[in-house]
Amino acid sequence: MEADRTGGGAVVTVPGLLLFAGFALVGPAAAFLVPSTLIQSLLTQATIYAIFALGVGILIRQNGMVSFGHAAFFGLPAYVIGAVLPLGLMPPELIIIGGLAATALMAFLVGLVIVRVHGIAFGMLTLAIGQAVYEAATRLRGLTGGHDGLSLDLPRFLFGLPLKTFQQPGSMLIVTWLVLALMLAVAFLFAKSRYGLLSEAIRDNEERVRFLGYRTLVPRALTFALSALVTAAGGVLFALYNAFVSPETVHWTASGSALIMAILGGASAPWGPVAGAFTYFFLKEAVGSFTTHWLSIIGVSLIVVTVVFPAGLVGLFDRLRPGNRSQGAANVG
Amino acid sequence: MRKSKILLTVLAAGLAASSPALAKDPLRIGVPTSLTGPYVELGEEAKRGALFAAAEANAKGGVAGRQVIVEFGDTEGNPEVGRRAAEKLVHSGFKLLTGSISSAVGLAIGAQLEKWDALYISSINKSNRLTAESCNPRMFRANHSDAMDMAAVRPWLKTRGEQDWVVIAADYAWGRDSAQEFAAAAAAVGKNVKAQLFAPLGTKDYAPYIQQIKDHKPAGIWVALAGRDAVNFGVQGKQFGLLGSVFAISQSFAVPSTIKGMGDVAEGIWGIVNYTSTLDTPGNKAFVAEWVKAHGKEPANFEAETYVAMKTLFAAVEKADSVEPEAVAKALETVSLDIPFYGKVSMRAADHQLMMPNFIGRVARVDGQLKPVVEVTVPTEQAMAPPSPACKM
Repeated sequence: MEADRTGGGAVVTVPGLLLFAGFALVGPAAAFLVPSTLIQSLLTQATIYAIFALGVGILIRQNGMVSFGHAAFFGLPAYVIGAVLPLGLMPPELIIIGGLAATALMAFLVGLVIVRVHGIAFGMLTLAIGQAVYEAATRLRGLTGGHDGLSLDLPRFLFGLPLKTFQQPGSMLIVTWLVLALMLAVAFLFAKSRYGLLSEAIRDNEERVRFLGYRTLVPRALTFALSALVTAAGGVLFALYNAFVSPETVHWTASGSALIMAILGGASAPWGPVAGAFTYFFLKEAVGSFTTHWLSIIGVSLIVVTVVFPAGLVGLFDRLRPGNRSQGAANVG
Repeated sequence: MRKSKILLTVLAAGLAASSPALAKDPLRIGVPTSLTGPYVELGEEAKRGALFAAAEANAKGGVAGRQVIVEFGDTEGNPEVGRRAAEKLVHSGFKLLTGSISSAVGLAIGAQLEKWDALYISSINKSNRLTAESCNPRMFRANHSDAMDMAAVRPWLKTRGEQDWVVIAADYAWGRDSAQEFAAAAAAVGKNVKAQLFAPLGTKDYAPYIQQIKDHKPAGIWVALAGRDAVNFGVQGKQFGLLGSVFAISQSFAVPSTIKGMGDVAEGIWGIVNYTSTLDTPGNKAFVAEWVKAHGKEPANFEAETYVAMKTLFAAVEKADSVEPEAVAKALETVSLDIPFYGKVSMRAADHQLMMPNFIGRVARVDGQLKPVVEVTVPTEQAMAPPSPACKM
């Protein structure tokens, strides 16, 4: 049923490229066209969460696995920056890239162990790892500032750009949007790559893939690492924009929100979690401004979505597309 | 709360009908505070304090001809949520901020002020860090810091007979600060602090902490818990036979919101009293009368303290004749004004701390109701701790 997405034909097509270029321009256009800094700042934050949710979505789509601990990968780079920067050992750019690489490597190594288990057990393991990071963030006061959080004393220039670029909503919207587009491209290309296809095959029937003579552990761990890396990229943008990180950022509720975004949007296409993140974020903003019980409204919407559109916004889109007879059924566990 | 809202609406309507004078930009004040979470009762106090000050100013034609508009955001008592709530207020045009409960929220907001081109004046945050290592040109404090509370406690502690103490405090900036300051003060007057215990904000079960306190067999305990945490600790402390058997002194604990939640257990607990409606001065009596007229009950500590921060902000806006955060911050540095219940107060430019008197008291029955009653008045000269050398503007 996924033949149009995963198999046959050129990976990169002209219409595909045009669509991608068009998407990449939406953010910069919004930054220039939207005059309100409030909307710009909300869009920037939503974009950062979209990258977070995209990472969670990759894991669901490629591995069929649901993580309850991805906030750890989101917050970790920020804490690494906050802890290493004051030491003055290396240039801040190197710390940022190093923080990303370290997070991905850690996820790969952890993945080698935990992707062996499936279903609820995997979810519980990710939850445990996530909460371990949360506990560390609250207990290691000297390093993390404990419950008070940590203000990041960022340098005046980063990657040759003035720090303001990363901290003013208008310019940061462009930066975050371009990173989102890049990450979407990475997710798309990975899905088409040998490892991507293999991981999907494993997701659908691991026994058979093993029988065909493939090793099934590494592709799954690699997908886990990629998913963590994308999430961590969102985390770096979060750290740059806010110059602040607190245990709340790595708490399981943050993982839960990202998961809701991914499910709301539907994980069967890379853009699903992104659409889900924007929907969730602005729904929360709209509802939150007239009631403090916004969580209940989000909860009800989630129930409606899972019952009526089990494949999220992606499923709805597939169903509405003219000439598409696809049932839009969920292909994820 | 509803009454004050109605009052504000009526006043606003009245002003709209008769105010060609109010042509200047309105004074927009953002209040990111605990509208939910463990500090919700305190957040409601901050809200009422801010609305009362705004209504009072608007009734007199505004601040220097500017209408006062107050907008709220929910911090949940959490630095990350609080930072986001404040950011939203700032981008909606409310760049003068006040009223956060948790010091951690105040510190998280403080670090963003320059970037946001905003200003924050604390009305409740006690952590020293706001006016010490984390001080900055846009952050001010119009309430008592931990260091100030301890400057008041130290001479008093010397007169107490209790030798062994245990500290129980909230596990974030304020509680950590408070515990450290109390331990230092106790050491300076020859008392022992046998243990410092920290409970995360929002702890519901204090039994393990209470047991640990009892194990140390202290003669006195120093309590730095507030809001629902304080109520939970107080009620459970009574059940486990802790309160009543040891001497308790506290910060933000012997206050109306906690007393209401704790009931009779609260009687006899000592505390730093930054404000109480029972203050026996003509200025306070007039303030209490005005407050009772609007709300039907006497003002609580955080209501009055948020009122102080609002009045301080008003004075600076008048002085600067501007609502631009930079100009208001400049004016705030040297502002001085009269507060009905404190008398003359003024800002200390070195660390942006408002200088004012302080009080120590205990919970006693007044006309059949439990209220904090002042036992020791500490005049401004003795209440002020020197500015921290760690503060570099």
